[in-house]
Amino acid sequence: MASRPAGGERGRAGASGALLAEARNVSKAFTGVLANDRVDFELRAGEIHALLGENGAGKSTLASILTGLYSADSGEIRVAGQPVSFRSPRDALARGVGIIHQHFHLVDRFTVAENIVLGDTRQGFFMSPAGIRRAVADLGDRYGLEIAPDATVAELSLGERQRVEIVKMLVREVDVLFLDEPTAVLAPGEVEALFATLRRMADDGKAIALVTHKLNEVFSICDRATVMRGGKVVAAAAIKDFTPETIARAMVGRDVDLKPRPSTRPPGAVVLAARGLGMEAGHHCGLHGVDLEIRAGEIVGIAGVAGNGQLQLAEVLAGLQQPDAGKVTVNGTDVTGKGPHAARNAGLAYVPEDRLGTGLASGLSIADNLMLTSDTGFLFDRGGSRKKAAAAIGEYRVKASGPEEVVRRLSGGNVQKILLARELGNKASVFVVASPARGLDVAGIEFVRNLLQDYRDRGAAILLISEDLDEVRLLSDRIVVMHAGHITHQCAAADYDEAAIGLAISGYSGGGRFADTR
Amino acid sequence: MLTLDRRLHTGPFLYVAVPLCSVVLALLVGAVFLAVNGFDPLVIYREMLTASFATRYGIEDTIVSATPILLTGLAAAITFRFKLYNIGAEGQLVVGGICAAAAALFIGDTLSGPPAVLLVLIAGMLGGAAWMVVPALARIRLGTSEIITTLLLNYVAVLFARLLIFGSNTPLRDPTSTNFPQGTRIPSGTFLMEFGTSRIHLGFVIGCAVAVLVFFLLRDTRLGFRARVVGDSPGAARYAGINAPATALALLLISGALAGLAGASEVAGRAHRLDPNGLAVGFGYTGIIVAALALYNPLAVVPVAILLGGLANAGETLQSVSGLSVPSSISVVLQGAILIFLLAAEIFLHYRVRRVHRLPARPAEGSP
Repeated sequence: MASRPAGGERGRAGASGALLAEARNVSKAFTGVLANDRVDFELRAGEIHALLGENGAGKSTLASILTGLYSADSGEIRVAGQPVSFRSPRDALARGVGIIHQHFHLVDRFTVAENIVLGDTRQGFFMSPAGIRRAVADLGDRYGLEIAPDATVAELSLGERQRVEIVKMLVREVDVLFLDEPTAVLAPGEVEALFATLRRMADDGKAIALVTHKLNEVFSICDRATVMRGGKVVAAAAIKDFTPETIARAMVGRDVDLKPRPSTRPPGAVVLAARGLGMEAGHHCGLHGVDLEIRAGEIVGIAGVAGNGQLQLAEVLAGLQQPDAGKVTVNGTDVTGKGPHAARNAGLAYVPEDRLGTGLASGLSIADNLMLTSDTGFLFDRGGSRKKAAAAIGEYRVKASGPEEVVRRLSGGNVQKILLARELGNKASVFVVASPARGLDVAGIEFVRNLLQDYRDRGAAILLISEDLDEVRLLSDRIVVMHAGHITHQCAAADYDEAAIGLAISGYSGGGRFADTR
Repeated sequence: MLTLDRRLHTGPFLYVAVPLCSVVLALLVGAVFLAVNGFDPLVIYREMLTASFATRYGIEDTIVSATPILLTGLAAAITFRFKLYNIGAEGQLVVGGICAAAAALFIGDTLSGPPAVLLVLIAGMLGGAAWMVVPALARIRLGTSEIITTLLLNYVAVLFARLLIFGSNTPLRDPTSTNFPQGTRIPSGTFLMEFGTSRIHLGFVIGCAVAVLVFFLLRDTRLGFRARVVGDSPGAARYAGINAPATALALLLISGALAGLAGASEVAGRAHRLDPNGLAVGFGYTGIIVAALALYNPLAVVPVAILLGGLANAGETLQSVSGLSVPSSISVVLQGAILIFLLAAEIFLHYRVRRVHRLPARPAEGSP
């Protein structure tokens, strides 16, 4: 568990701070589905409050109602004790209630300062650049939010963009701030900085609500938690009254087992081999002398911060990119740069991290998407594709209306199930799987991990690429660390050494030298 | 207060109701237009209905008018549906017509009946496809917008057809037409069959058959599947190893061929000569409206083409009805209004409008 940020006695305000925002008996239905069912929720000054739940539990709906995006069908919203009815998010902002969505609402071509002013109704016709700069600098000092006001948003990292969103809210003087899955897009270091900022804001008397399903965040930063399931609040208490197990049980509705299941047999022959892979990738990170061997019946985990060559490695292995040097063999067949068909025919399946833009055609039906990596003759087997889809929906318990349901309409967990159903169902023996559990809820994570371990036990070779070090550690039989396109560390899971891996992730490759980062 | 909520599912009812409502609203706008111009909308609309859909001659004329826009509608549907925008059906139709007329004159009396007709139609399709080659290659090789290139080539094609008849002494120009230049009449052996004593010709039946073919092509073949993937998600197409440029090329060429077929059908079925002024009257552009109103569904293109065909036909007829003297542009007004309403109404396919009640200012009963 990460150490708690400094900030005095936590929870000091806790349940005793002034009530800043509350929902009383709020219900909201979407086309017959009750997304919020008589929900009570309260946010007090000085607290960081976790709003927890699985996908579809209704937590985002509740946050949207409290911040003016939706209006409740019944029930009451109060801000600082006063009943309110927001007609728009702008209305809510005027009352000091704001939200930062997972996908940022920034104009890429505008500067930070321009984005901050954009839509601020208190600004006059003429902008005062000096004033904005001063405000940004003041807020930056006060809450540890370093941003350059004149940088254009397009140049910023996701973590920096999030800071812009936070400053936007602070400039508008919010007292209540919701953050929807704020850490989903952040690198590990950025998470700590965000949490320090949130703590300072809470200590300043603001109320922070963290909409999330990541348990470790809840315990490292939050003071109280409200857990939702199936549209209802099933638990609400101070964080010290919860354990990770009790929260997970409240969220899922049953006991959840995320403990790893070690491999029972020794690994078999090498089925996926990469030798001396080298590639220049323009302004992206390339690959430099990457050697890798994966045996049947083992999971090899690739750890490292995203953007250090993992995507390029996965795409080279899957035949989507041609390396400048080196060779990839799948089950003994040389597939180097021969295209995705060759890699697939040799027995490799690739589950990309980018599900809706790469792994799936988001506007097409489940049935169509299940045929994406099958070879078809002149006629497209529509009946077969529907049968396949119906089978996958049944086997993987996908929540969908049927084979013709458009993939974009599915929730994140169900989208991933469709992708996994297709790639695992294609009788491959080698799997390259990138961030398979990212964005999934607790039950989804459990499902994906069990699935991968089942396939490993049946003799599949799995290359697991993930930024989540815990996931890599728990699932892998061997761990490989990548930095700037180099492999900087390799070890068996039994020899896991957090310090050594941490160093390797930042580029230290042993022998007293840092890997060449350019 | 009203709000928009995203629909989870769009039922089949809406796919019919939304275009239908667009037509009704367009008729209301047309009624205002007519009233302002001093006509009684009800009288005019009754006349239009009679002129196009209630008499035998009216129905025949409607079908004849629907034939070219049925084919250009398919040409538009097969590309627009996959985010390729062939605005050049007009030009491809004209070039198809030129090629069909040339083929018919070349065949002369050596062949007649089905083989001759088939050759003429194929010539038209090849002509239309050929007019698409440059824009299609520019699009897939250089990324040039096909909207601009196909549009500009329309003017080239139309002016070229005029040159052939009015500006030169090609075999396509009738040497005996001394007063006013016109195209050489093609041999009767290459005419499209007409049904009974009507002016409805084989082109309409071909159009309907092609609509069914295109429907199955897009739904049940590998090309259709690939088109869906490429049109929806270039990233997924690359991941799956689908050759996106080849798929786009195939769709664009088929589209050009369908527009060319429309030109051949006009030449061999209606005009029986290359008549630039009768050919380039906007069938290509109307086809885009037809496709949009059919929501790019090939089967729906057929009834929509008949509807718009009737509309165009009614406009023509009204002008000549004695004592009314309604400008034929009423049908163009209605066409434009239909398209605008449809584009505006598309949001209702994906969103539902809900009435939201303001929450009471007082605390609800039972709360503390």
